[in-house]
Amino acid sequence: MSVSTLATEALAVFAKEVRSELRSRVAINAIGLFGLTTLVAVAYQIGPYQIHEQDRPHLLAALLWIIVFFAALSGLQRVFVKEEDAHTAKTLRLAARPLAVWGGKLLFNVVLLAALEALLVPLYSVLMGMHVVGVAPLVVLLAAGCLAMASTATIVAAIIARASGSGTLFAILAVPLMLPLLVMLIAGTRMAMTSPRWGDLLPALQGVGALAGVTVVASVYLFPVIWHD
Amino acid sequence: MATVRITFSELGKRFGSRIVLRGLSGELRPHCVVAVTGPNGSGKSTLLNLLAGVMRPSSGTVAYLRGDRPVPRHRWHGLLGVAAPDMAVYEELTALENLRFFARLRGLAHTDGELARLLGQLGLASRDVRRPVATFSSGMKQRVKLAQAVVHEPAVLLLDEPSSNLDEEGHATIAALVARFRGRAALAIATNDPREMAWGDERIHLGN
Repeated sequence: MSVSTLATEALAVFAKEVRSELRSRVAINAIGLFGLTTLVAVAYQIGPYQIHEQDRPHLLAALLWIIVFFAALSGLQRVFVKEEDAHTAKTLRLAARPLAVWGGKLLFNVVLLAALEALLVPLYSVLMGMHVVGVAPLVVLLAAGCLAMASTATIVAAIIARASGSGTLFAILAVPLMLPLLVMLIAGTRMAMTSPRWGDLLPALQGVGALAGVTVVASVYLFPVIWHD
Repeated sequence: MATVRITFSELGKRFGSRIVLRGLSGELRPHCVVAVTGPNGSGKSTLLNLLAGVMRPSSGTVAYLRGDRPVPRHRWHGLLGVAAPDMAVYEELTALENLRFFARLRGLAHTDGELARLLGQLGLASRDVRRPVATFSSGMKQRVKLAQAVVHEPAVLLLDEPSSNLDEEGHATIAALVARFRGRAALAIATNDPREMAWGDERIHLGN
């Protein structure tokens, strides 16, 4: 298998996803509106002044990732569901290698989730008064969390794409898989709010990185089986 | 380069308790167009799906052979061109963007001019190639579907009701396409149209 050809195919799939999404904006609107709406509601009701100082790291970290997680759930499944709904899945199956399809769509979900985090995290910091001491470690945690969440969402989306009631099924399958990831992301974010040291975030970073690695490797073996009948 | 042929032996497919195909054997090869005919629900599309590898048979085997050497399954997609009613192209993209995408997937570096020429050969006017496919009629969408099936000059071409939604001019375009690929590709056409059946050198009739 030529790695460069696989990469070229995956990039072609990614470019198509970006072009399609910029025209239709379905996932962008779903994720963006859900995230912003939830953020505004939380900021309005709770805000930076309703939380005791000693509780701030715990609550702010948890609320941030709840907002990001549910916003992601509202849109990341579309990469495969829309192919089945539009009857383009068979056309794509016949034209591209499975790993190229998976790679292109994973890259798209990573970019989408990264854009969501880039929008929400600074806004959240301002609206909720979240002060981060370890900025660099938090950025790395966000990137690792983005990859882990996107890779889990992508493979689950591929699994449920052909099922009826795929929206509900996606949540049912994705939530238990992402729960350990969420716990580690919340713990790492809490640590970044109180400590600038990389060492204090290392357990969370290692856990999130390991989950991302396991999901990606499992997807490489699982996706070709899922993709073909 | 040696031509590609498809052999299938004792092919069968069941969906639950319903047996659609049973004990089917044959070969697709260049210079011999195979027309697959039969009443609705007889398994014409199912047979093409099995030959394309998008569906696994319940029994029997499908093999792609280049000369006498089997082609590994993960390489079939590069040899294959398929157009079928249950396939669609991306409606939010233009005809040209669709064809560029499918060409890139197959490692082709065709220019937009070359792709537009192919679309023109299949009856799409030059003023339409840069319009979103969502604005096309069903006949125009069919032409884009056919274009993506042949852009890479496939060694195997499977057409399921290729003239559906096409006018007389479209039917003539398909006839020219079949004539062009007759000598160079293993070609099968699933159809109930007598005019399309007439293109077949051999016939597989399903449903009895």
